[in-house]
Amino acid sequence: MADQAMPRASRIAALRSRISTELVVGILMGGLLAALLLLRPWLSDHDPMGTDLLNRYQPPGTPGHWLGTDQLGRDLWARALAGLEWSMTTAIMATAISLMIGTLLGLLAAQREGVVRTLVRQSIDTILSFPGLIVAICVVALWGQGYWPIVLTLGLLSWPVFARVCFAEALSLLQREYVQSAALAGMSRFQILIQHVLPGLRPVLMVMLAFHFASMLISESALSFLGLGAPLGEPTWGNMLAASRAELFEAPWMMLVPAAGIVIAVVTANLIGDGIAALSRRQGKGIDV
Amino acid sequence: MNASADKAATRASTAGRENWLLLPPVLRRLRDLLVLLFALITLLFLLLPLAGDPAEILAGMDATPDQLAAIREKYGLDDSRFNQYLRYWGNLAQLDFGTSLVDDQPAMGTVLRHLPATLLLAVMAIVTTIAISLPVGTWLGFRPEAPARRVSAWVIFVMQGIPGFVFALILIQIFAVSLKWLPAIGFARPENWILPTLALASFLAPNLVRVIAANVSEAMREDYVRTAKAFGASPVEILWRHALPNALLGATALIGTQFAFLMSGSVIIESIFAWPGIGWLLMERIQSLDFPVIQAIAILIALLVFAINTLTDLSFHLLDPRLRRGASHG
Repeated sequence: MADQAMPRASRIAALRSRISTELVVGILMGGLLAALLLLRPWLSDHDPMGTDLLNRYQPPGTPGHWLGTDQLGRDLWARALAGLEWSMTTAIMATAISLMIGTLLGLLAAQREGVVRTLVRQSIDTILSFPGLIVAICVVALWGQGYWPIVLTLGLLSWPVFARVCFAEALSLLQREYVQSAALAGMSRFQILIQHVLPGLRPVLMVMLAFHFASMLISESALSFLGLGAPLGEPTWGNMLAASRAELFEAPWMMLVPAAGIVIAVVTANLIGDGIAALSRRQGKGIDV
Repeated sequence: MNASADKAATRASTAGRENWLLLPPVLRRLRDLLVLLFALITLLFLLLPLAGDPAEILAGMDATPDQLAAIREKYGLDDSRFNQYLRYWGNLAQLDFGTSLVDDQPAMGTVLRHLPATLLLAVMAIVTTIAISLPVGTWLGFRPEAPARRVSAWVIFVMQGIPGFVFALILIQIFAVSLKWLPAIGFARPENWILPTLALASFLAPNLVRVIAANVSEAMREDYVRTAKAFGASPVEILWRHALPNALLGATALIGTQFAFLMSGSVIIESIFAWPGIGWLLMERIQSLDFPVIQAIAILIALLVFAINTLTDLSFHLLDPRLRRGASHG
């Protein structure tokens, strides 16, 4: 019995080390969101800004407006898709800025001792101890609404998240024997970073990217919800939620549509992040489980 | 043995080279705090000109140039930006945070009057979060592979993806609009407190549940638990005496972080529920560019967050015997 069970069990174990349910579901949902984003022009022929005062407050399921309409008769499906585009592009851009600055400065600090490292570490600690949301609110409120203010504010305030992890990981990688012997063999600092340190950072960075994307998306919609992020009237999930507050009695679906959008996007990112984390944990642990 | 001593020595020497001033931990904290305040205040001062002229906002649309000049002189806005900045630091050194441009009240006094509401909400939210997370997390982690718990784990995973302000709107929709059980906004009576507390807790609890569950299930696999089992300890005993203390220790850091987050993270919840805390004040004063009050809010919250983080670190060191004699963590 044991003889038969063993290979099967080990095959399942081998499979489990390469696949995780979270990751599969996450990638499927992510693919769906990406498809919605790319196919947007063909998915709705309504103008997200087009008001239609004869068809205000149509509930979901109305012919022609399957998600219903808002207080100005605008089609909620078209607006949700436009919001998807805004949320995705702002969150991706903010994450990218954060990743680039964070990785660069983290690696720099890991490699250079002395003043550079002290400065980078002090900035990491300082920005991390900023009361994030309050500073973001102040900066965006003072700077003004729009795509770049919000993307830059979020990116420039959140890079220490990446820098801290990159610094710690790179520092420990640089002390490994194979890296030190590469240095002894005459490899340049830059080559070592590219060939030995960056590949070692990849798993951590991938997990962090997914979670960071989720938190950027939440922050962006929160700022828009407060009326500080996206330009007023722009069809974004945060703005749609803000508008729905006055209509909760009249049209609860006005709140539910953007809420669902935010939750689906965040859960997708969390699934992918958790899935990658679970996989690398399983692969690192090996036979133990 | 030898290698680890070597490593410790290298680490000590790099640490020495890195800190041009070798400061004891308390002073290092103080330095961090000063750098934090400096960066925060400078950042806000640099950004202020982007927002427009506070004098024009104060005076209104149809102000005469004379009125504008009078306002500028009254609030010291006619000085150069740099002089205003220097003067701000001078006043700050005397604990003077300036007066509000809106109502001429001392800025910090106004902020401090709104602090109790924020603290009340934060304490209620964190207590609720712990009260929910502790039993649920332990239940989940005790036997994570049981079917009911797997389903619950997925529900909690999805809940983790619901931002607090989205949850707040859903709660209002259900309990205030549809069922009419609870008021949607306000602060005066205890029934006003339920929805904001739940909105914040619903955002924090899934995270804590997952950490506690992971810690408990990890602790259940540890050698000492296996030994205790072999000696015939009952599951309840194992849970209480061995698994939970370790799980809670791991959760302390997260609870501290969450409490610190609540100081600034409740801004949106406060403004949704018209909760007269600091976040609500911030949203009110940011429209009128009441710079002294905004600045005072940012400073006070930064101080609170700093204090909470320091206390969390401290309690972590006190609670965990493994860290007590360990080297300081820079």
